[in-house]
Amino acid sequence: MKLIYTGGILPFIILFICGCNSNPSGRINRQASVGNNASLPENPLEMTPMAVSLQAEAKTMSTLYGNSIASKRLNEVANYAPGSVVYLVTWKEKADSEWFGARIPDRVATIERVSIDGKGQKSYTFFKGPAWQEGLLLKGDREAIILSIPIATSP
Amino acid sequence: MKFKFKIILCIACLVLLAQLIRPEELSTAKAQTAKTLTGVPKEVANVFETSCFDCHSAQTNLRWFDKITPANFLVASHIRDGRKALDFSQWDSLATPQRNAMLYFALNGILSGEMPLSSYTALHPSAKLKEKDIALLKNYFLNNLVSKPGDAVSRVGQPKVKEVKNSPNGVAYLPGYRNWKAISSTDRFDNGTIRIIFGNPIAVKAIHDGKTKPWPDGTVFAKTAWKQEKGKDGNVYAGQFVQVEFMIKDATRYAGTKGWGWARWKGENLLPYGKTVKFDSECISCHRPERNNDYVFTTPLDIKDFKK
Repeated sequence: MKLIYTGGILPFIILFICGCNSNPSGRINRQASVGNNASLPENPLEMTPMAVSLQAEAKTMSTLYGNSIASKRLNEVANYAPGSVVYLVTWKEKADSEWFGARIPDRVATIERVSIDGKGQKSYTFFKGPAWQEGLLLKGDREAIILSIPIATSP
Repeated sequence: MKFKFKIILCIACLVLLAQLIRPEELSTAKAQTAKTLTGVPKEVANVFETSCFDCHSAQTNLRWFDKITPANFLVASHIRDGRKALDFSQWDSLATPQRNAMLYFALNGILSGEMPLSSYTALHPSAKLKEKDIALLKNYFLNNLVSKPGDAVSRVGQPKVKEVKNSPNGVAYLPGYRNWKAISSTDRFDNGTIRIIFGNPIAVKAIHDGKTKPWPDGTVFAKTAWKQEKGKDGNVYAGQFVQVEFMIKDATRYAGTKGWGWARWKGENLLPYGKTVKFDSECISCHRPERNNDYVFTTPLDIKDFKK
């Protein structure tokens, strides 16, 4: 009897605790956030944003991120130096529910990583996101394409 | 009975006498000739004229009950505030991008449920928009008012502005925002810009902790806009720098402006926007539909530290 009573009340206690801990606050674009993926060596969203682009046909949008070496290009006109790591994160776009006239990131389609080692050797890695579709992107020499994305400069 | 009659008579006299006192703008207002929105199809212009023009243009069509004191003071304040936020009478003097911005601003006011004011539609039911009106506007906007990216221009670096003047409300420019995290990006097809919304470390932590309602003091956002430019590969990239806008949270210091310090620097010379100290009422007016989200439009990304 005691067990049944305890078992019966337990879900309510759990619900109460979860209710207290739930985030009553703000909207967060969780779908577009990059989850802790074992195959990703680091979270690209933690790096410095360097450029943005749109792919109208695929209805996707991308942000280029760089580590501290790569992001020096924000202030210097130079090639990517050895030690640079850049990520191109591409999302499917969705209409911004807060502003008719805008689109914002939806689910992640792809994450691409290009790194340049001490000898200047480049390497490319592709990570498939949940919104990736066959043939969506990845035409041509991705390494060269990513490294030639024009930096969003500001005064 | 006699006493009650006297009271009623006194009230009636007071009401009649009150009619001599009228808001200046209404007593001097002259009927304006109906003007349509040049370049906009008649059926689309009609929707704006019916629902917005009474308070957002010089073409105010006052009903008899709008003219009775004291109601006319409320009407006058609506018109005053309305024209300050958006005035369709300026239409003919505006260039196409400003006209489009005005229309998008009006439509977003409607879609957010802010406009037309419910107190206004209660007495002016014809101003209430029907679903078919909204569908008509959306369809027109998506087919006619979508900005096209310009051709890519080759740029070599970007000269830095050494000294940036404060915003008229005293907010100082924060040059280090490019090292902050991107909490979102936006494809603004309404005005042909592409944006990164940068958040400082306090903002990023608040998002991760789920403590954004309200955002903590010290939060800063920098919304940076570039012109959309089409590359040879057909993709669109960030071209010429347009502006950077800051929202700086300090509930005490900025208590008079909804807890935020608002500022905008425009162009490659980073010229502060606004002519008067109170220019930020314009920012608040635009962000008002987001008052339940602490005046923030952006739905931010959660930036997790994978090492934790």
